[in-house]
Amino acid sequence: MKAWLRFLPSIINKAIISDAIKIYEIDFNILRAYITPRGGKMLVEINGPQENESIQYMEEQGIQVTPIMRVVTKDLEKCMDCGACVSVCPVNAICIKEDWMVEIDNQNCIGCGFCINSCPTKSIDFME
Amino acid sequence: MKTIEEINQKITNGDAVVVTADEMTSIVSQKGAKKASEEIDVVTTGTFGAMCSSGAFLNFGHSDPPIKMSKTFLNGVEAYSGLAAVDAYLGATQPSQNPEIGLDYGGSHVIEDLIRGKEVELIAEAYGTDCYPLKMVETPITLDKINQATMFNPRNCYQNYAVATNSTPETLYTYMGTLLPNSGNVTYSSAGALSPLLNDPYFQTIGVGTRIFLCGTEGYIVSEGTQHSTEVERRNGIPVGSAGTLMLQGDMKKMDPDFVRGATMPKYGPTLYVGAGIPIPILNEDIATRTAISDEQIICKIIDYGIPRRSRPVITETNYKELKSGKIEINGIEVPTSPLSSYKRAKMVAEELKEWIENGEFLLTNPVKSLPSRGCTVNPLETNKPAVLVRDIESKSIIMTHSDDKINDVARKLVDNNINHLPVVDNNGQLKGIVTSWDIADAVARDKSKLVDVMTRKVIIAREDESVDIIARRIDKHNISGLPIVDKENRVKGMITAEDISRLIGGNLKNENGGDSI
Repeated sequence: MKAWLRFLPSIINKAIISDAIKIYEIDFNILRAYITPRGGKMLVEINGPQENESIQYMEEQGIQVTPIMRVVTKDLEKCMDCGACVSVCPVNAICIKEDWMVEIDNQNCIGCGFCINSCPTKSIDFME
Repeated sequence: MKTIEEINQKITNGDAVVVTADEMTSIVSQKGAKKASEEIDVVTTGTFGAMCSSGAFLNFGHSDPPIKMSKTFLNGVEAYSGLAAVDAYLGATQPSQNPEIGLDYGGSHVIEDLIRGKEVELIAEAYGTDCYPLKMVETPITLDKINQATMFNPRNCYQNYAVATNSTPETLYTYMGTLLPNSGNVTYSSAGALSPLLNDPYFQTIGVGTRIFLCGTEGYIVSEGTQHSTEVERRNGIPVGSAGTLMLQGDMKKMDPDFVRGATMPKYGPTLYVGAGIPIPILNEDIATRTAISDEQIICKIIDYGIPRRSRPVITETNYKELKSGKIEINGIEVPTSPLSSYKRAKMVAEELKEWIENGEFLLTNPVKSLPSRGCTVNPLETNKPAVLVRDIESKSIIMTHSDDKINDVARKLVDNNINHLPVVDNNGQLKGIVTSWDIADAVARDKSKLVDVMTRKVIIAREDESVDIIARRIDKHNISGLPIVDKENRVKGMITAEDISRLIGGNLKNENGGDSI
C-alpha cells in the first residue's frame, strides 16, 4: 500500500523505519521525501504480510501514517485529455487509452509531481 | 462529380452521407476513392489544440456619462482599446497584470469565463474629452450584457506543425509544453489525419467565407491566416511542416465551453485551446483521395527546441501513426510522446459537425474566394542591429585555475585580477568547475584548504557562437553572475559576466549619444 508518513523533529533521530523493516519484514520504498528541521513528510510504499502491524508500530513510535488509494487526482471537468502530461511521467504511469482519454495509473505513480506542473489546465493535484 | 448545391439539397432532404475524416480513411481503403466519392457527400474534420494567435473583439456599450476607453482590463488582463470609444481586442496570450497571478490567468481564461457566463470585472481608464468626459469605469460585465463579442483568431488550424524535443541538459518550458532534458520526451500538436487543412492540402474546397465549426457554434473563414505559407516541402501531397493557416471568426455568445478552453503552457504563458472543424464536400474522386489521408502518410519533423534560434535543427522525421503510439525512436532510444492537442476533443468536434449536417442544421458554402495555394512564404524579421555574439565581446586575458590549486593562491588570483569568478580546468584546459569569491569566503569560514571541496562542478556555460541576449536570459534564469565560455572540446576560452553585458548595453548607449556617456 501507499501512504504518507508525517513526523515531528522530536523523533527525527530515531531509526524507526529501519526497526519496522527488521521486525515486520516489510518491503519499504520511499517515493518522495520532504525532510526539514521542522519535521518531515514521506510518500512511501509498504508491502508484506505484516504491513498492518508495521504501520501500527510506526504509529506507536510517533509517526502519523495516512494510507492513500491514489497519489494524485485528476479533475475530470478541467482535464481536456490533451496528453501534455503523458510523456513527462518518469514511470509511464500516464497513458492515452483506446478512446483517447488520458488515464493516470495510481499503482505506478511515484508522486514526482511532473504531470502536475506540466498540465495546461491545472487539472492534476496531489491527494492529501 | 457533384456540386455543393446538390450536396446541400441532400442535406436539406436528410439524405446526405456524412463521415468523419478518420472514418473516410478506412472507407477509401476498402472501397477505393472512386466509389467513396460517389457514396460520400461530406467529410468532417476536427482539431482541438492550443492556438495562441486567438482573441476577441468586444464592444462594452456606452456608460452614462460616456467614456472613451484608452486602457481596459478584464479580470486584470489588459485588452487593447486603441479603437473607438468602447471597443477592445482581448488577446488570448495576454497575462494578468497582477504579478502574483502572472501567467496562470490570461486573455484565454477571460474568454473561457465569458463563454461560461461568468461575471468578469471591467476596469477602463480614459483621458477624458468633451464628448466622453468620464475618466474611469469599474463594473462587472457578462457576455449576454455586452453588445458584441466576436472571437477573431488571426492564425488557427496550422497545416501540420513541428514536433518538439530538447537536446540540452536542462528542462525547457516552451509553447510546445514541458520538454525534458537530453531528448527525454517529444511533444506534437497536430491532430494528424483528422486535422482540417491536412484533408484539403491544396485548398480545393476550403476558402474565404467557408462556414465552419468554431468552438461549438458556426464560424467563418475570414481569409488565409497570418504566416500562411505555401512554398513548402510536401510528402504524399502534405506539407511536412507548418504551412497553410486560417483566420477565423465566430460569435462568442453562441459558443460552447466544451469546445474552447483557457490554458497556460507552464512557465510559457496563457494560450487558447480552440475547437475547430471544417466540412469538406466530396465533389470528386481527387478530393475523396485527399480526405483519405492516414496518420502514417503525414510526415513531420522533430525539431530541437534546445537551440533558441529562428531556425532550429531538425533531429529526424516521424509520422503521426508513430507519434500517436506513445513512443518513438530517436537515435536508437525509445522516447515517450505527448500530444498537446486533445485528439479526443478533436474527434468530438468532427462528430458534432457530422451530426449538425446529418440533422440538416448546417449547410455547406462555396468559398467566396480561394485561399492562396502558391507564392506565399514567411519572411523573417531582419533587425538593423544584428545579434551580438559571445565571441564579439571584447576579449580579456583568460584567467583560470587548476583543481589542485590551494585556496590561498586562488584567493590571490581573484584579488590580483579584480575578478569574482574563476573557471577551474584540468591539464588539457578542459572545464572542470567554477569557483567564485563567495566560495573562497566559504572555504575560509569552514576551514577548507582544497579547491575541489568548494568549487561548483555543474557549471552553466556559454558558447562563442551564442547570442549575448541568450546569455543574459541564462544568467537571469539560473540566478548567476558569470559563465565560462567553452569551445566544442569543452576547453575554456574565457569568461562572460553580467558586468560584461551591462558594459555592452552601456557602450551601445554611448555610441548612440555621440560619444557621451550617460
